[in-house]
This record gives sequence, structure tokens and C-alpha cells, in this order.
Amino acid sequence: MSHEKNDAINTTQPVNMDKQQEEAMKLDLTAQDTCSAEEEETRSLIDRLKRLQAEFENYKKRVQREMGSLEERISDREILDFIPLFDNMERAFMSYSGNNDVGSFIEGIERIFAQFSQVLNHKGVAPIEVLGRRFDPAKHEALLSVESDEEENMVLEEFERGYLRNERLLRPNKVKVSRGKPKTEE
Amino acid sequence: MKEKIIGIDLGTTNSCVAVLEAGAPDVITNNEGERTTPSVVAFTDTGERLVGRLAKRQAITNPEHTIASIKRQMGTDFRVNIKTDGKVREYTPEQISAMIIQKLKKDAEEHLGGKVTKAVITVPAYFNDSQRQATKDAGKIAGLEVMRIINEPTAASLAYGLDKTEEQTILVYDLGGGTFDVSILEIGEGVFEVMATDGDTHLGGDDFDHRVMDWLVEEFRKDTGIDLANDPSAMQRLKDAAEAAKMELSSRKETTINLPYITADASGPKHMEKKLTRAKFEQMIDDLLQRTIQTVDSALREAKKGAEDIDQVVLVGGSTRIPKVQELILSRIPGKINKEINSDEVVACGAAIQGGVLAGEVDEIVLLDVTPLTLSIETLGGVATPLIERNTTIPTEKTKTFTTAEDNQPAVEIHVVQGERKMATDNKSLGKFQLTGLPPAPRGIPQIDVAFNIDADGILHVAAKDKATSKSASITIKDSSRLDESEIERMQREAEEHAEEDKQKAEDIETRNRADQLVYSVEKALSDLGEKVSQDERGKIEDQLRRLKDKLSQNAPIEEIRQAIEELSKSSQHLAEEAYKQTASTAGSGETETSSGEGEEDGGDYIDAEYDDKE
Repeated sequence: MSHEKNDAINTTQPVNMDKQQEEAMKLDLTAQDTCSAEEEETRSLIDRLKRLQAEFENYKKRVQREMGSLEERISDREILDFIPLFDNMERAFMSYSGNNDVGSFIEGIERIFAQFSQVLNHKGVAPIEVLGRRFDPAKHEALLSVESDEEENMVLEEFERGYLRNERLLRPNKVKVSRGKPKTEE
Repeated sequence: MKEKIIGIDLGTTNSCVAVLEAGAPDVITNNEGERTTPSVVAFTDTGERLVGRLAKRQAITNPEHTIASIKRQMGTDFRVNIKTDGKVREYTPEQISAMIIQKLKKDAEEHLGGKVTKAVITVPAYFNDSQRQATKDAGKIAGLEVMRIINEPTAASLAYGLDKTEEQTILVYDLGGGTFDVSILEIGEGVFEVMATDGDTHLGGDDFDHRVMDWLVEEFRKDTGIDLANDPSAMQRLKDAAEAAKMELSSRKETTINLPYITADASGPKHMEKKLTRAKFEQMIDDLLQRTIQTVDSALREAKKGAEDIDQVVLVGGSTRIPKVQELILSRIPGKINKEINSDEVVACGAAIQGGVLAGEVDEIVLLDVTPLTLSIETLGGVATPLIERNTTIPTEKTKTFTTAEDNQPAVEIHVVQGERKMATDNKSLGKFQLTGLPPAPRGIPQIDVAFNIDADGILHVAAKDKATSKSASITIKDSSRLDESEIERMQREAEEHAEEDKQKAEDIETRNRADQLVYSVEKALSDLGEKVSQDERGKIEDQLRRLKDKLSQNAPIEEIRQAIEELSKSSQHLAEEAYKQTASTAGSGETETSSGEGEEDGGDYIDAEYDDKE
């Protein structure tokens, strides 16, 4: 048995049973009034039901609390994956302020970018290719629709990249969509 | 299992669906992983029908065949004409609304894993009969039996359980994405009566976003001479950033809008970095907020009520999270503000509760109380040690093991207190009793189980039982959960106010208890080890021991005690190791003795007896 430290209770000198205690005992006795076995069973079943339900309510409250702290811990873990990128970025700036070498600074940033891509890749994040494809509202969001020589509903320009994570949409691409050739008088 | 009745908040910009699960409303996440669904329907060239987020994303490419805010047309002769494959189809507002309801229904069925055929749908309080009928018909078209149409403000009040209180006047302030509504309700005996409604059909959170965007565009123009308004890509980023800034300013005093490479000109790339304070934001939207307060005033006039007549204010809609909104309402109406439930979901939650009542689910569930305040017992140093935390649903039972504070302590006093303060004396005393006849034992050895048992009527039974002797004593406290509201509020407020100071006090006591424990164990080790401790060492330790005891008895500042503890534990570390070696070699005998103490079986309830009971 694990011996957790128990809180200690102070003492006073032993005294006789106090009044409240006596009353409580009396109350117990009066509660024992004559009721049939059936009534007794119903009462105990109802009590059991209530206790079960209360336990469920308390369980739900606990789960909710735990979910909160779980979320917190998961996001902690995610953040930890990105902190090295931040560190390296800082190193790049420090190195640049020491040597003023633009060439090596850009090379450093490129390395960090590669590292960044790797982190996203490991997390199952992939960019959505959109240029030259048909507009699909399941993956893209249209910001503009313009007349063009392209076929109707073709994506003409990407304003913001979209991402999938394990085939689930994280963020849609923000795009410009072709409305087709200028319509002649109808 | 009975069939669930879902609750639907069919909104102008967004809709939400919830269902009662085990007595509490649960918002259903849609297929796209969101808790609300845009109220947008679209028909594509290929004849495909899109509803919700997808319809919204393609709206710009397909403006003629995308329908938003259909709610504004409910009950009118308005018709939507859709041309596909050369054919023109005509849809009524009911049919379009039905498509939204159908999606919500489908998402609910996926969530619940079964068919859904019944729903409660909410409408604005100002909807007339034909608008209500149209909403009902929309439900029917979607394949749902609409069990009831209820007012949105009524649903919000239900979500807060305001129907369970005595006669009250409630003001519901609903500031959504694009509409603003005020309703004044009177509730008595569970019946809601709408006294007045007012509103602004084109005012909401989107307007606040636009104010921030306009400001950003203007600031950028001043700084760089570039007008971003003509750059759709930049404008989209600005819109997202403005909304994010608005939300952040609900919890922070200041935020930075940082948009690198927002645009470029001949001189190179341009970045945006702007600080926005909450004060500045409030100033930007002040005229809009003042308009809402004027609407509140006109609703009060219509209801022939004064601000002082309002007992409860219920907040609905995401924009009510803005602190200034709450501040303005509070300054106008001194009533109690209800804002704990997510304001985007509160209407759907209320509808789900109404659904649960109609399904008979709420009747079936015995409504259980919660303990309004924490129940604790007093332990060494006057600390209140919690057994049952506040907000625990009753009936419930908790047992914790305690021990003695002194050697050969013959009795323990169980002092039951109620409240959130860390010290027992700051809480309300509910009663005390003693467990006597503990056999002589060193402190810390006896194990006394204290059991708190609250039954469904809120009656608290506290029993203490010495594990060694099975001796027990108990008390029954009748009014453990029957405090009146104001007393509970006062006690909670006090606990908040004193939280820092109480924490300090509890830490101080913890330190003192640790000092006390250290003194005890070092003294014991010294006497146990006897000759084995060198004269030198013994002298040094006894010296430090005396110093710590003096400090304890003089009630010295906690820092000094802490220091003395550190010194003594450092110099007695070696002692502890020695003592440990010694006990390890003689172990067994000592321990079995204390735990096997049979004692007199004086009426102690034995486990055996409980087994008999269950038969």
C-alpha cells in the first residue's frame, strides 16, 4: 500500500458524546419506523439510481476538467516542436548582426525554412496544389471571380496557400476564379 | 431508449443544433468540425446543392445561385429562381431553409448514430404567425416533425434555467454576426410572456470587423501612400486579422496586427505592423454600441418598464463577449448578467432543453442538486481540508484517511466546515464530534477514515472510524446544502477576495507543520540511535533543534522558520540515514504491531456486515 501522508487532526481531551451526536443517533432510531420490505426496496433502488446519476454527473465534470488540461498539454507538445525553429531564427539574426554577411544569412534562413517544412511534413500537413485546377469549394475559398480566357471555374491565382492535414482540410486556399470569356449580348 | 428531440437555432447568418444528453444540452459538431453552420445554400452548375461552409466559400464565383440570409424572407412571397441545365426552378424561402435544416439534421444523426425525426426550432420573438408557420413548414419539408416553435430569447432564458425561478423580468440582448435584437420577457410559473421586442436588422459583429479594417487601410495609406482597398488578397488578410484582433481584445488590453509582405511597390515589399488597444477599438465602435443601448431603451419604454425592473439580463451572440458591450449594459441595467454559456450556442441549448422536456426526458431524470460550497474538515494548524468540492452533484460519498498530530493522542475531533476559504475558522462551522478511545500510538500512525455522505435531500452524514480498533463515531448535519443564495454568493465572493492571503496562510501552516514533523523525527532518531551519534554531531543537532523549537513556540516569521528547517534537515541528514539503516534491520515487528491492533469491537460496522446487507 502506498503510504501517502495523511493530514493530521488535532485533539482536545476526550469528552462525552456531544448533543448533536446524541440527536443524530436518536434520529437514526426514529428513521427505523415500520415500513414494508417492498417500500424499503423501492427506496433503496431510488437511492441507488440517484447516486448512480450523481456519480455520472460528477464524472462528466471531472472529464470536462481533465479535457481542459489535456488540451493544454497537447498544445504544449505542439509548441515544443516549433520552438527550435524560433531558436534557430534567433541564431540567424545574431550571426548576421556579428558578421553582416547577407549570403550566409540567406543560407541560414533557407535551412530554417527546410526545417520548418520538415516539422509540418511530420505533422501530416501538406499544401494544396490549386493552380491550373478547377475551383472546388471543399478545398478552396473564392475571393474574386473575373472574366478571362480560361474556362469557367478554373483557378487563376492563389492569394493564400491552403493546407490539408492527413487528408482533412486545415485551411482552404484563397483564390481568384475565372468566370469564363466575356459574354456577348444574350 | 426514447427518441431524441433536437433543438435548432435557425439563424440569419449562422445556425446551430444541440441535443439533451443526460440532462445537459450538448452542441453537435458538424461534418466540417464546426459547432455552428453558416446559413448559406448554393446550387452549382452541375445541379449539386451545397449548404453551410462550402456554400459560403464559393459564393463569389456563383453569386446568382448562392442564397444567404434567407431568414429575412421567411413568410414572404419572395422566390429564389435557380437556372440549371437551361431549366428554371423556383424555391420558396421555406424550401431554402429546409435545406439548411436538413444538413443540421444529418449532422445530428451522424452524431447520435440514429434517425432524428423531431425538433424544436427557434424564431425571433418578433416573428409573426406567417413567419412562424413558414419556419414550421421548413422543418416539415426537411423531414422533421416540429414539436414546437419557441422564441429565441425564451430559449436563451431556458438555457440558464430562468424558468425555474419565481416571477422575473428578463432582458435578452442578442448581438449576432449581422443582426441585433432586444427582447423583454416576463416569466412566471414557467410561462414566458414577451413584453417588447426591438432591434436592428443590419447591425452586428461584421460591422465591428469593418471598422477595424477601415482603420488599418487608412493607417497604411498614411504610412506608405498605398491604398490596400484595391488589393483583394491584402483585403482578405486584413479581414481575417481584424476579426482576430477584435476577438483578442476581449481578453487583452492591446493586440498587434502583424502582416508581413502585405503588398509591394517599386521600392520593395511592404509590411504592416499596427498596435490596437482595447480603448481605441471601443472608440471605433462606440456609435454602434450606443445605438444598441438606445434600442434597449426603446424596448424598455415599449414594455413600460424601467431599467430597475429588470431582474436578469441574458447575453446572446458572439459580439456580447466584447467587454465594452457588457459594461454598457451593466451601466444601463443593474440586473444580473448571465453570460456563462457560450453566447453563440445558448439559443440552440435552450431549444434542446425544450426538446428534452417534450420528449419526457427531463421528467424522467431526477433533478439533482449540487453542493453549493466545499465541505471540509479542520486539520492540523486550523487548515480546512476539503472532502467534497463545491459543485459536486449529490447524493455523493467521499472518504479520506487522516491521522493523529501527537504521540498517544487519545481522541480526534472532527470539525466539519463549509466554504471556500483555506482556514477552517474563516468558513462556516456545521458541527463537530469526537472519536475517542484511540489506542496509544506514535503520531502519524493511526489511520482514521473520515467519510462524508450527502444524500439526495442534502443531509450530510459524517462518520469517523479508526481502522485499528474499528471504533467509530458520526454526526448528521441537516442543512448542509440549504444556504440561501445571498449567503452562498457572499461566501464565494469572500473566498475570491481573500484567495491570495489565504494561500499564504495555508503555506505558512504547511511550513510550520513541516517544522513540527522534522523536530519530532529528529528527536526520535537521536534517542533511537543513542550512542551511535558522536558527541560533536549530537551537540550541533541539538543546538539547531532547540533553535527551531524556539522559533516555532515564538511564532517567528515564516522565513526564519524555513531557514531553521533547512539548517536542521541538512545537518540531520546523516542521522536520518543511520536511523533508516537501523529501522530497516529491525523492521517487521514494529509495523505489524501498529496495523494489527485489534481493539474492542465496540459497535464498529465491519465490512462483513455490509456484505450481508447486499444479499
